[in-house]
Amino acid sequence: MESFLNQIPAFFSAGNVTLLAEAVGVTIALTFFGCLVGFTSAFLIVMARQTPGRWAIPLRGAAILFVELFRRVPFLVTSYLVLFSIVIVIKNPSLFIVGLVSIAIYATAFTSDIIRGGFESIPRQQIEAAQTLNFGRWRTMLYVVIPQSWPVILPPLIIFMVAFVKDTSLVGYIGVFELAFRGKELNNQGFSGIFVYGFIALIYFCLSFPLMRFGYWLEKRLATSRGQESQRELR
Amino acid sequence: MNYTFQFGVVLARWPEFLEGAWVTVQLALAGFWLGAPFGLFFAWVRTSGPKWAKIIVGIYVIFITNIPVLIQVWFLYFGLPDAGILFDKYTCVTLALVVATSAYSCEIMRAGFLSVHRAEIEAAETLGFSRLHTVWYVVVPHIVRTIYPALANYFIVMTLSTSMAMIVGINELTGAALNIASENYRNLESVAIAAVLYIIITFAMSLSLALVGRWAFRVKARIF
Repeated sequence: MESFLNQIPAFFSAGNVTLLAEAVGVTIALTFFGCLVGFTSAFLIVMARQTPGRWAIPLRGAAILFVELFRRVPFLVTSYLVLFSIVIVIKNPSLFIVGLVSIAIYATAFTSDIIRGGFESIPRQQIEAAQTLNFGRWRTMLYVVIPQSWPVILPPLIIFMVAFVKDTSLVGYIGVFELAFRGKELNNQGFSGIFVYGFIALIYFCLSFPLMRFGYWLEKRLATSRGQESQRELR
Repeated sequence: MNYTFQFGVVLARWPEFLEGAWVTVQLALAGFWLGAPFGLFFAWVRTSGPKWAKIIVGIYVIFITNIPVLIQVWFLYFGLPDAGILFDKYTCVTLALVVATSAYSCEIMRAGFLSVHRAEIEAAETLGFSRLHTVWYVVVPHIVRTIYPALANYFIVMTLSTSMAMIVGINELTGAALNIASENYRNLESVAIAAVLYIIITFAMSLSLALVGRWAFRVKARIF
């Protein structure tokens, strides 16, 4: 107990603080860009899955298979798969990119169902009406489906992002210098494990808790604004 | 780009993969069944316990659900020995999984408890149900039907998170695959086989959970 209280001044040396600050930056960047790419490709997967016509059966099948398979593989295994497959093509890939790709794949697999659910919440008649007005698939999406479904989709996506903040901690195992990895490094340098991991846990909490509150707040706010709109229509 | 796949060398080690898969299943079952009773208790405390207990459990749940399980495992395995508390690796991982399950299942069950409306209980009373009958025929089926799909889903997610056990040196599926890869350098092949086994395990779990749900509780749980 004495010993780890004595370590506190040494732990907060300028070097360690910049190291951890950089690591927090890497964690945030991984989560943010990984989710951005992931949500975009999840949208494309949903589009592929909803492509009508017989010729698109392989496309729909591939979209469903991608989602169903990657939902059933642990993130650790996904990131190793990505690493080992990329290494075949490129000799020395940037490990940050590898981590980002694995986060993106995971995000795609877990969020495409949310997006699909949001799109399917739009009444069928509206899409038929858009077709009658000679809207193409993308224009129907852009002007009819997305404007109405984003309040349903966005809050769960934000809440899912919280899970990805925590999952980035595993990317350290393929060699990305993110927060958890730096914490392990400091522990290996001789700082008390209780203190280091407690502190790292606190940083993760500070990253993920506000995001979660924001998600719930958004959910409540968007839900009430929709409720008021429908009341206005009634009046 | 001249990579030749050699699954033969890796597949020759199938007993190790199967052993790893068995450890994975054991960890998942232990984590879930030891953690879920705590989750149930916490959920009960959070809905109808004394106020101070509500606050304590609330803080516990918020902290656990916002910190990566990896950090919790490290804390238990590398941190606690500094305070003179030593666990072996299996205890550490099981403990981390139990703690995570207790927090997440608490949230799921609390949502289930809150979904019972006062009107349902009053309707049962009007129909002359005794207190015990109200609970058994009205409240419990309602709660079970609400939480079963969510708990089944959580069980699958938790099975996947047992891959975390690899970091303290347990040879479950991920650990076994990486061990084999480090011996014969067929990295991609062994990890791919592990991934396929994970898919098979979780698919079998989803299927059996869906069947149990359908026969026992008349819940339509999704397999896909």
